[in-house]
Amino acid sequence: MLSVENLSYTYPGGTEAVRGIDFSIEEGEIFGFLGPSGAGKSTTQKVLIRLLRGFRGSITVLGKPLDEWDDSYYEQVGVAFELPNHYQKLTARENLSLFRTLYSRETRDPAELLEMVGLEDDADTRISQFSKGMQMRLNFVRALIHMPDLLFLDEPTTGLDPVNGQKIKDILRQQKAEGRTIFLTTHDMTVADQICDRVAFIVDGEITLIDSPRNLRLQHGRRRVRVEYHHDGTSAPTQQAEFPLDGLGDSDEFLKILRSNRIETIHTQEATLEDIFIQTTGRSLT
Amino acid sequence: MIGTLVANDIKLFFRHRFFAIVTAIGVVFYLVIYFLLPNQVDESLGMAFFIEDREIPLYQSLVDEPGDYTIFDSEAEMLTALEETGDFFVGLSLPADLTAAAARGETVELNAYYAPGVPAEAKQIFHDVLVLVANTVNPETLADLARFNDTPVVLGNDMTGAPLSMRDRIAPLLLMMIVVIEVFGLATLLNRDVDNGTARALVTGPLRLHQFFVGKALMGMVLAFGQVLILSAVMGVLGTAPLLLLATLLLGSFLMVGLGFFIAAISKDNASVMGWTIVFIIPMVFPGFSILLPGLATGWMELIPSYYFVDSLHRIINFGAGWADVAGNLTLLLLVGAGSMAVGTAAIMRKF
Repeated sequence: MLSVENLSYTYPGGTEAVRGIDFSIEEGEIFGFLGPSGAGKSTTQKVLIRLLRGFRGSITVLGKPLDEWDDSYYEQVGVAFELPNHYQKLTARENLSLFRTLYSRETRDPAELLEMVGLEDDADTRISQFSKGMQMRLNFVRALIHMPDLLFLDEPTTGLDPVNGQKIKDILRQQKAEGRTIFLTTHDMTVADQICDRVAFIVDGEITLIDSPRNLRLQHGRRRVRVEYHHDGTSAPTQQAEFPLDGLGDSDEFLKILRSNRIETIHTQEATLEDIFIQTTGRSLT
Repeated sequence: MIGTLVANDIKLFFRHRFFAIVTAIGVVFYLVIYFLLPNQVDESLGMAFFIEDREIPLYQSLVDEPGDYTIFDSEAEMLTALEETGDFFVGLSLPADLTAAAARGETVELNAYYAPGVPAEAKQIFHDVLVLVANTVNPETLADLARFNDTPVVLGNDMTGAPLSMRDRIAPLLLMMIVVIEVFGLATLLNRDVDNGTARALVTGPLRLHQFFVGKALMGMVLAFGQVLILSAVMGVLGTAPLLLLATLLLGSFLMVGLGFFIAAISKDNASVMGWTIVFIIPMVFPGFSILLPGLATGWMELIPSYYFVDSLHRIINFGAGWADVAGNLTLLLLVGAGSMAVGTAAIMRKF
């Protein structure tokens, strides 16, 4: 679906924002592009959506080199930017209708899209009266209006409350189920962990690691179990103990704690994506 | 696709309360000004006389032949009329012994009374004429007033008998004001599109960058040209040379659209659009005022691009100029409009 080889991009001022990165995305995959601000995420996305030309390396999208695509490229891809960009004097329905008329392929009814993200009651409200979260939801569904094969989404859950954030994640899973491929740029590791099939870490214009969140957790986490427990009938503080995951069932001490104490929590010591990011790049995401 | 964009931009334009009000009021206001101004010119320079002795031969012609003057029965009446009515610009009190004193070679004292507000130039001209007349008086006959012939040669348009009324003079200025004001509207919308990211959203859909700019240019042209068309039709100036006038209005609108692009390119936000628009609008309207008040015109005004717009309008509307007469002006309008649009477009593209 999308293949990038040795991609580099240098801005006219001389800043090299992307340095020879390689990755590929399979059809129907949700690919997370993770990194701190200034890492090269947005530059890569701008190159992929053809806002920036003059890159080095090769990019193939939907089976064709990017620079050989004509204007029909934008009929196949949907783009949502990090910051909402709507006509403030138009209503939500008018904004979607305007973009709908630009596409020649089959499009979705704006009312249906607005309902997907819970904006149906605000369809005829001007955007200037929308909160940032409402504008983000509208931003997101605008990218879906022409049912594109490939979606480029930049921080789609930023500024959303947990309920609406969950709604967006559900829609993304649904899009994946319908066969769409999603390139998700984010610095929210929780979102990436929950919905991405694979993630790439990018720092200083270079990709340091690509794998599925599960594999990363397994590779970089500790194979141990931590138990937090409390002696029944005593006022002693909560205690904790750690055991190797391998041979856990044969550990007498572990079994003894389970039998004779009130267990508060038991967790395997998997690393979070954020831990792995910090561990592998030496950088924080914020 | 471009049509959709233009329609959307016009909708947005009229949803900005400021632009909608300014546009609607502007057209009405300019038309009211136009029709309130006189469409005829009163070129008469009223003179007032008090003649102490109307029987003197020199004064007979004044008494017998009616002219643009009034003879009063007393000096006091003349002075009151001069000061209060505004019908006269000068009053002369001609004493009974004037001709006799002149004949004796004595110095003649003569008071010329001017109405308030008469410019110094007019006073000087009247004084010179008076001296000339006095010096041509033949003391022998006291009648032979003119001993020379003059042949008037008018350079340029001879406006004798067909002076331009204030209405004629203000028409080019009003038409230009309308298109100049639209510069602000266009620059604001264009700047907002780039600043808010809507332009970026559009060009990451099927709309291409050149279509975006063509759409903006067309929107500016529709707004500016539409309004000047209405204004011209209501003013009744379209009948002069319809095609030529339409071409001029179109190119004038094009010039201002180019300027709008340029202003949008150099502005960072709405406030700076406003600031830059003022900077550019003020010199742009100078040439229009130079037609209204011809004394203002100086050579450097030809450096202002709008001069060629307003000059063409003036010549077409007021002097019946043809294509050949204004071809140079129109070419310049086209070149400057295209140049500023190209520079503006290139600068805006760097903001994407």
